[in-house]
Amino acid sequence: MNTPPPDSPPPLPEPQPPALPSAAVAADGREPEATPASRRAQRALELRAALLLLLMVLIIGVAVLYLMWVRGAFEATQKVYLTTDDSEGVVVGMDMTFSGFPIGRVSRIELAPGGTVRIQVDVPVKSAHWLRTSSVYTLEKGLVGAARLRAFSGILDDPPLPPNSERVVLRGDVSAEIPKMVADARDVLQSVNRLTGADSALYASLNQVRTFTERLNSSKGGLMGAVTGNDADARRVAELLDRTNQLVKNLDAVAVRVDGVIRKADSQVLGKDGLVPDAQAAVRQLNALLQDVRHTVVKADAVLKEVQGVASNANQATTNLGDLRADVEASLRKIDSLITEINRKWPFAPKDKEVKLP
Amino acid sequence: MTTGFSLYGWLLGVGRGVVRWLHGWWTVIFIGAQLVVLAFSPSSYGPDARRAVLRHVYYAAGPGLPGFTTLMALFNVVLIRILVVTAFAYGLTQYALDAVVRVLVLELIPLVAALYVAVEYTIPGGSELYKLRRAGGLDALRARGVEPLSHEVLPRVLAGMFAVLLLALLSCLISLALAYIAVHGFTLAGAASYNHAVGNIFNPMVSIIFCLKTLLFALAVALLPVANALRDISRRASRTSVELQGLVQMFVLMLVIEIASLVGNYY
Repeated sequence: MNTPPPDSPPPLPEPQPPALPSAAVAADGREPEATPASRRAQRALELRAALLLLLMVLIIGVAVLYLMWVRGAFEATQKVYLTTDDSEGVVVGMDMTFSGFPIGRVSRIELAPGGTVRIQVDVPVKSAHWLRTSSVYTLEKGLVGAARLRAFSGILDDPPLPPNSERVVLRGDVSAEIPKMVADARDVLQSVNRLTGADSALYASLNQVRTFTERLNSSKGGLMGAVTGNDADARRVAELLDRTNQLVKNLDAVAVRVDGVIRKADSQVLGKDGLVPDAQAAVRQLNALLQDVRHTVVKADAVLKEVQGVASNANQATTNLGDLRADVEASLRKIDSLITEINRKWPFAPKDKEVKLP
Repeated sequence: MTTGFSLYGWLLGVGRGVVRWLHGWWTVIFIGAQLVVLAFSPSSYGPDARRAVLRHVYYAAGPGLPGFTTLMALFNVVLIRILVVTAFAYGLTQYALDAVVRVLVLELIPLVAALYVAVEYTIPGGSELYKLRRAGGLDALRARGVEPLSHEVLPRVLAGMFAVLLLALLSCLISLALAYIAVHGFTLAGAASYNHAVGNIFNPMVSIIFCLKTLLFALAVALLPVANALRDISRRASRTSVELQGLVQMFVLMLVIEIASLVGNYY
């Protein structure tokens, strides 16, 4: 049995030579004479090809210029350095936004000598006025999407941020909070499980409430039966209520009688010939009496003033009497000294120098 | 007749296959290098050669440009609409533009443009060249003192590359405009945020990878069919034609380029 070798499939039909594009070359190697029509067609074709080349150059130029423009190659920028302890989520080229608008682009991330991460952000000068010295920078990483670098300027009146400033980035990582949140949720669920378990206090309380409501709805005693727990007590409470009702009625009658007494007392005290008008007249008389007493006192006061004047005069007279006495004593002393002098000068003077007054 | 398994024969077959594969790629690379040298030689752009290049440039890009651009615009509108509506539905509107630009401009359009040019121009051109070579046309040219590599091959390669670049770039620009209209509507109010988003996407690395990828697509599409036409590809056991084998080879190469670009962009 003859099997064809694998390297020799059935031959394909031999290709026919196509017309040579440049086969219009004569056998002697010279170009044949082109007709004017074919020359015009040739020139038109070349013109279209040249236009295509021009279009290509134009497209490349426009594309390059457009990309350079949108990449910010033609605008001046200033640098802001942000430092953080972890660069996770930060990539070169990501935006820094302010109120949702991109105002800068991360151009470099590097490790600082202190082990922190230094993020270089290029901010166009026309957008730099949104950044102030008091601006705050955050790096947030949500559950979905890339990390976001945001700037907040609370006080826009502060001085603008100088170029090449260095600021600290505050980090907020939602995904880092998830394990903690899950652990907390598990604790809560376990607590709920314990609360709702068959041996839990809540379950027992609900059972008691159910028993209470069953008693409440039962025909034996109703609310009283539910509150007191047995029928005898419920009956006694009902009797107590009846007696209380009777007591209230009696009290009502007493109140009516007390009301009559009060009305009589009112007429006696506040009536026309009652106690209060008499008391008012007595008070008026007492008032007149007090006025008389005041007049009497005024008069007594005047008498006392006069007595005081007499007393002062007597006092003055006493003072004058002392002076007179002193004068008399002085005169007597002078007379005594005069007699002494006469006796001393007078030879016949008795030895007894005593003067005897008549 | 019994045919037993022979390890020696199998290893020999594998070794020959590897050598053939390497030789094939070496031929492609060698022809590519020759063409690069010719492309950067001023002597390749004499009046006749320049005319030939212009003619091929027009045939490669001109006839297919309106149709391809229109079709791509329609395709863009549909795809942009799908992406934007999906993003809106999931509340991810801020990522809609990003997804549109990345999916369409960065990935799909260069690939589709390269495939279009391959199917429309370079593969038929390569087949034509192959038939010409098999018929002895290239030898005839050489006999007349005309270098077929610079006269017949270089214009096709340059034209193929040019066509891929032109179609891809034009469609990318149209796609960017359509994406803006799809997201913001007929207003200039969203221009600032749109420009910023586009600027964010086209960072230097992405831009370089995009340019390299498009250039490599163009090179692969333009060079492989021509290089395959200039060498004898051994027929395999299947009845796949030589042209189809070249096409598969080109697809594989484009796939490798695309994977490399994806790795560069997203890893």
